[in-house]
Amino acid sequence: MKFLSPLAFAFAATIPVVVVFYLLKRRRVTRVVSSTLLWQRFLAENQASAPFQKLRHNWLLLLQILLLALAVLALARPYFSGDLSAGRLQVVILDGSASMRARDGKPTRFESAKEEALKLVDGLRDRDQMVVVLAAGVTEVRQSPTSTKPMLRRAIRESQATDSPTRLIDALKLAETLTKDAVGAEVHLMSDGGTTDLAELEDKGMKVIYHRMGERGSNVGIVGIDVRGHPDDARQRLVFATIANTSSNAVSTTLELLLDGRVLEARNLSMEPRSTVSQIFNATQEQDGYFTIKLNHADDLDVDNEASVVSRLPQPMKVLLVTEGNGFLEKALRSVPGVALGVVRRIGAGKLSADVVVMDLPGTMPWPEANALAIRAAAPGWFTNAVETEASAVVDWRSAHPLLRSVGMETVQVAKTLAVQTPVWATSLVEAARTPLIFAGEYERRRVVWVGFDLYQSTWPLRISFPIFIANVMEWLGSGTREGGASTIHTGGSYRIPASESGGDVRVRMPGGEERLVRVESGEKEVLFVETTRAGVYRARVGTNDYVFAANLTDAQESDLWPREELKMGKHAGVTSTTVRRADLETWRWLAAAGLVVLLWEWWYYHRRTV
Amino acid sequence: MRGERRSSARGQSVEFADHRNYVAGDDLRYLDWNLYGRLDRLFLKLYEEERELPVTLLLDASESMGFGVPRKFDFARQVVAAVGYVALCGFDRVRVSVFPGRAGMLEELGMGERALSQEAIATEALGSVRGRKSSLQFLKHLGLLEARGAADFNASLTRCAMETKQTGLLVVVSDFLDPAGYEAGLSALISRGFQVHAVQVLAPEEVNPSVFGDLRLVDSEQGTMQEVTFGRYRMEAYQSTVRNYVQRLREYCTGRGITFFQVVSDCSLEELLLKRLRESEVWG
Repeated sequence: MKFLSPLAFAFAATIPVVVVFYLLKRRRVTRVVSSTLLWQRFLAENQASAPFQKLRHNWLLLLQILLLALAVLALARPYFSGDLSAGRLQVVILDGSASMRARDGKPTRFESAKEEALKLVDGLRDRDQMVVVLAAGVTEVRQSPTSTKPMLRRAIRESQATDSPTRLIDALKLAETLTKDAVGAEVHLMSDGGTTDLAELEDKGMKVIYHRMGERGSNVGIVGIDVRGHPDDARQRLVFATIANTSSNAVSTTLELLLDGRVLEARNLSMEPRSTVSQIFNATQEQDGYFTIKLNHADDLDVDNEASVVSRLPQPMKVLLVTEGNGFLEKALRSVPGVALGVVRRIGAGKLSADVVVMDLPGTMPWPEANALAIRAAAPGWFTNAVETEASAVVDWRSAHPLLRSVGMETVQVAKTLAVQTPVWATSLVEAARTPLIFAGEYERRRVVWVGFDLYQSTWPLRISFPIFIANVMEWLGSGTREGGASTIHTGGSYRIPASESGGDVRVRMPGGEERLVRVESGEKEVLFVETTRAGVYRARVGTNDYVFAANLTDAQESDLWPREELKMGKHAGVTSTTVRRADLETWRWLAAAGLVVLLWEWWYYHRRTV
Repeated sequence: MRGERRSSARGQSVEFADHRNYVAGDDLRYLDWNLYGRLDRLFLKLYEEERELPVTLLLDASESMGFGVPRKFDFARQVVAAVGYVALCGFDRVRVSVFPGRAGMLEELGMGERALSQEAIATEALGSVRGRKSSLQFLKHLGLLEARGAADFNASLTRCAMETKQTGLLVVVSDFLDPAGYEAGLSALISRGFQVHAVQVLAPEEVNPSVFGDLRLVDSEQGTMQEVTFGRYRMEAYQSTVRNYVQRLREYCTGRGITFFQVVSDCSLEELLLKRLRESEVWG
């Protein structure tokens, strides 16, 4: 037997102290009595009836010395050297999603989850290891495998829930990787089960113990928000909000619309149990800003009671048409509302000021830094062997795609087209027998719509579907260009902040008021800001430019607070919540406490005889 | 000297006591001729002799009797006073023997001359008292006595037995807490022919102690020390010890024809005098 703390044997010096205490004469009170005869008889009779009377004090002494010796031995942390098998691995996944902030825990679900996880740490045996993973919008390993309980406790205590939707799949995949070859490994999932994306784990055979958090589903939340221009009045904006009542009671509350923090309108709202309603607000907007929908209802979850959406007034879209001359195309572009068209014969070098470039010329060329509609034009490397060929009839088109909305291709004939393969980054929209006629996609973070045939070699410009297609293309390319289309994101999502041309870092003011400084490397054109775990309005300052974007929960599944009894993993597998905690709780503390109680009782009993 | 107390001795009086066979030399005046007529045998009529009864009261005035609330000695004096008064009223001769002896001890203690003379005179005066008229003086002298000094119970009783010329009724009032025991003293009295009554007076604190903790007890007479750790939980065991001690004393007395009474100094004196002593026929 060896000792981890042999210095603790120094405490053995206390044993002689106990003996000395026993040797010390007790201080007695002197009393004069009539006669000591009766007392002598009393002592004689009682000693006679208790054979171990004289030994009693010595027994106490021996017991105390034994207790003290054991305590000293324990403090010295004895251990045996030997071949020991590796301990179990436990992966604790803390669901840090927004629904875990619901106040039906102690005090929240997330705090209850932490408490549960801490109990697991308490029950960890010496050789067991534990990993702590926080699963929110981003999966974060809070503590790598370790047996050191203080580190595990600190990692758990310092974990914070976010406003992000539940995303457990990454955390469970990570746990699966960690536990794949570990014998007896367990994955403890502390969650309310608000996720449906676990189908990938169906056949993994992972041992998941689901600790269900939460008791009820009392919540009313905003699960959708959007803003659109009014079709008849350019100064009017329509704000759409979808509100869900997931509780089992009817709810009456008020809904407020705010523009840049100013209340514009408030209306009463009555909702049936487990129902969803949509509300449309009509508001006048003079300048760019953000609308906020606020639900004045006290429920278990606050984060979904408010949602914001950034609204920018429509700006004319600058479109540059590069063509040798195409009257149909030019006319169709001019007919699109909000388009400021410029026509050039050749595209020059240098930065373009256009939002969208329409290139009606064949051949390969350097690609402009803008969204583009390319008619036979291509960037280097798109096609390996593009040859012009006679086209058969249009055989298929994706009518569900936004670009082909209300566009019928059945009456379109194409005489000649470029025979190409659809690039990997694009989706074929209209196809002939052997080649795509039109495809669309995102190339180097710029949207591209490619048409493979000369318009004059087809009947399309004569069909009604052509101006509709051009209008759709302008809308699709424009939405990808004008900042504001992606200015409203989900919590936990990312937002692209254009970097300043003159360089300099980006400062982002968070919803809580604190600031984050994002370093921008030289040459970078944009910065991806991912620290959006809090719902609210973010303000980024890049040089002299300000960018406002909003992060909302707006997740119906997350707002539905009812804790799930079972986590579905695909069609057949699932994990049922457990109420029995499998934790190997150490008992030595209780035994030590019991020993202390016995010692105190002994002390009390010993001194009681003199009272 | 004749008194009013009926004696177990046979003598001349009007109270018939018994018959006995006639033997030569008996006074023929006391022959019962009626019996002779019926039985044809000679019987002599016996009469109780009425004479004064010597009443000896042995009072323990040792230091240990000065303890208790109320004091054991006060209670003991009251018992002695009551018995003595009744005896004096019956024209009996009363003798109070106080132990330990006063005179020598008072000198040893260095008491003042006045106290010495008063207590010594009282002790001397109590040595022989007779007649109802002396009762007031008797009580006054009893009041002058104090409990002090160490007593040798056996020696005191033995000396009393030896010194007494005429036996009779003897009442011992003491706590009977002598380390040397009580057997030799009581035995000496019995052998001398006394009709002995023993009254053991204990203090309430001796029966039911109220001092607890780690104690060093000092014997008031012997000066010996005894270390005791005493708590309430041991009270019953202590009381059992006291009961055993009293029971042994009672059995000893009963076995030798001694009437035994045990009292606590806070008990009712009337109860003892009018009920218990009367029931035991200490007086009629």
